[in-house]
Amino acid sequence: MRNKFLYLIKVSLKRKIDTKWFRIANILIALVIIGTANIDSIINYFGGDFNKPQKIYIIDNTNSSYDIFKQQIDMNESNKEYKLIKYKKTEKELKKDLKNKDIAIVFNNDNEKVLKVKLLSQKYLDILDSQFLKNALYNTKIMLSIEKSNISFEEINSIYEQVDVERVVFDKSKSSSNENLEIIMQTVFPLVILPFFMLVVILVQMIGAEVNDEKTTRGMEIIISNVSPKVHFFSKVIASNIFVIFQGLLLFMYGVAGFISRKFIGGDQIKYGVFDTVKETLKGAINTSFADKLIYMIPLLLILMILTFLAYSLLAGILASMTTTIEDFQQLQTPIMIILFIGYYLAVMAVMFKGSLFITGLSFVPFISAILAPSLFMIDQIGVYHVIGSIVIMIFTNYLLIKYGLRVYKVGILNYSSDKLWSKMWKALK
Amino acid sequence: MLKVENVTKYYGDFKAVDNLSFTVKPGEIFGLLGVNGAGKTTTFRMIIGLIEATNGSITLDNKKIDYSVTDDIGFLTEERSLLTKMTVEEQCIFYGTLKGMKEEEIIKRLDILLNKFYKNDDKFNLKEFKKKKIKELSKGNQQKIQFITAILNEPKLLILDEPFSGLDPFNVELFKQEIIEMSKKGSMIIFSSHRMEHVELFCKKLCVITKGKVVLEGYLKDIKEQFRKKNIIVEGDIDIDKIKKIKGVLEVIEKGNFYQIKIESKEFNDDVFKVVSKSNNITKYALEEPSLEEIFVAKVGEAYEK
Repeated sequence: MRNKFLYLIKVSLKRKIDTKWFRIANILIALVIIGTANIDSIINYFGGDFNKPQKIYIIDNTNSSYDIFKQQIDMNESNKEYKLIKYKKTEKELKKDLKNKDIAIVFNNDNEKVLKVKLLSQKYLDILDSQFLKNALYNTKIMLSIEKSNISFEEINSIYEQVDVERVVFDKSKSSSNENLEIIMQTVFPLVILPFFMLVVILVQMIGAEVNDEKTTRGMEIIISNVSPKVHFFSKVIASNIFVIFQGLLLFMYGVAGFISRKFIGGDQIKYGVFDTVKETLKGAINTSFADKLIYMIPLLLILMILTFLAYSLLAGILASMTTTIEDFQQLQTPIMIILFIGYYLAVMAVMFKGSLFITGLSFVPFISAILAPSLFMIDQIGVYHVIGSIVIMIFTNYLLIKYGLRVYKVGILNYSSDKLWSKMWKALK
Repeated sequence: MLKVENVTKYYGDFKAVDNLSFTVKPGEIFGLLGVNGAGKTTTFRMIIGLIEATNGSITLDNKKIDYSVTDDIGFLTEERSLLTKMTVEEQCIFYGTLKGMKEEEIIKRLDILLNKFYKNDDKFNLKEFKKKKIKELSKGNQQKIQFITAILNEPKLLILDEPFSGLDPFNVELFKQEIIEMSKKGSMIIFSSHRMEHVELFCKKLCVITKGKVVLEGYLKDIKEQFRKKNIIVEGDIDIDKIKKIKGVLEVIEKGNFYQIKIESKEFNDDVFKVVSKSNNITKYALEEPSLEEIFVAKVGEAYEK
């Protein structure tokens, strides 16, 4: 029987992995992930207006604003390049010379407000350009004012220098260096949750499709006459879990390939993109005490996720055994998807409602704890004991699903009629 | 030997099988007959261990049927039991392995059976055929594969539920030969079909069930003998109205170039013969046993009238 069990697992995996469509789907996923990692290089490769410097024509009627304004523009840290051009002709002529995307600035002296500025363009300005120029002009005005006040260069420097803040956190378990890490973590958590979400969907659909495929023909009778429903059930559950773990590892490898390819291709145009954020987060985490926490939290969270995969596969197997067609299973699958969505939505909300007792409480609830716990942990909302609690509840849930679910499965897989379905299942449970 | 003893099965309050008993010895082909919903499928499911009997026992060679003996059982279901996305070879390896066979053993046996079943097909290419997906096959070819999967393991007990469904007469003949060969080798075969002429061909012993209850059982020869009604076959010019008036004559049916005269029992044969012998151009007169179909219809009809 043990050999038959292993054989059933092998066949289930083969039916899923050794197919043309699995290979095609994974090639496409790998291309999308590697492409996303290098999206800036791809965008640059095809070119466009974005990589041309933004021309800014300057008419400086004050004779002192241009250099200061240039200093401000040079301090620009964004991806966009600005090119200042001193315009020698009149403002009237400038109107003719100004092209669609060009910007012009006219500096004039103002006795009361130090500086009077005219910002000219043919069309509306981009909001980021507008904001950036306003800041640069504001700083130019301050610099001009300071200059006029005869303040020394050293004094100007000290005025502009950032304030030294000594950060003290009284909670000994918290490190001040981790404070900003939480913000970065908030952007990273979808990278953990989205694959989990995706893998649960694959898992549920895989079991549903396989059980229904065997049930729509009387193949199930031949199988169950040779192996017990218990062996059949666990072979499906284990095969589907191995498959999603394998698919998860493949996704991770595609991510790593994305990182490596990025190094070779040298994409660095888009700073603070998803992959840079991950890189920065990992760097930040490694350099702080957060790393110590991650060392035991990552295995715990992985255990919670695997237990949740197991629970979803058990539930999907039970539901699939009760249905007679794949269409019926798809209907029953909807509540599972809703549970997943609720978990995902709550994980997003957790960032907005930091400290919410409701969300923290729900992170113990089976099926959604694996989605909520990592995000709550990343924003430092829960600790190790909380995750261990969720794991214990998840183990108990799996025990109940196996104990009672198997009774339903035994009756369900050989039931070909939806007539009095619930009463049959209820009877099986009893 | 398969022993079904006083088996009863309830689904809730509904009695699907009522105190059913029969035995099938090695080399015997046993007919289990009944109209739709009579309880045949439930009986098959109990024999292969899919469901448990509420009362009674089922044993194979004195062992209770469980997963330790199911490797010796072959089952051909009435509906398709093939996984259509698999290839012919994958399907046979799948079911064969579940029967405890090794892959090489399965492939070897599959090749023998395929060559046997397609020996008269000039276009048949074994290698190509094995790589074909089940869903690409015609209904008849799917039935052949289903039959092959049922006999791959050369089972001790073979259950055939409507094995000839979707087959042309030529393939029916091939199946028949294989079934007879298996019975000669000592397999116990339970055969179920609505085609009584097929049952008559194979089964020496049978059992007819209606509403889960046995209404007729025993050796076919005895059943036919015990059935009082007989048929007289006459070829020639007879006066139908005159014959119909004879006491004991139930019906006179004109069938192509002969007449079938149904009589209540063989005691009335002499009276009919006297009348027929006075007719002209009589080339044939024979007293025959009724067909199984007639007996089946009569017995099942009686059971429903009760």
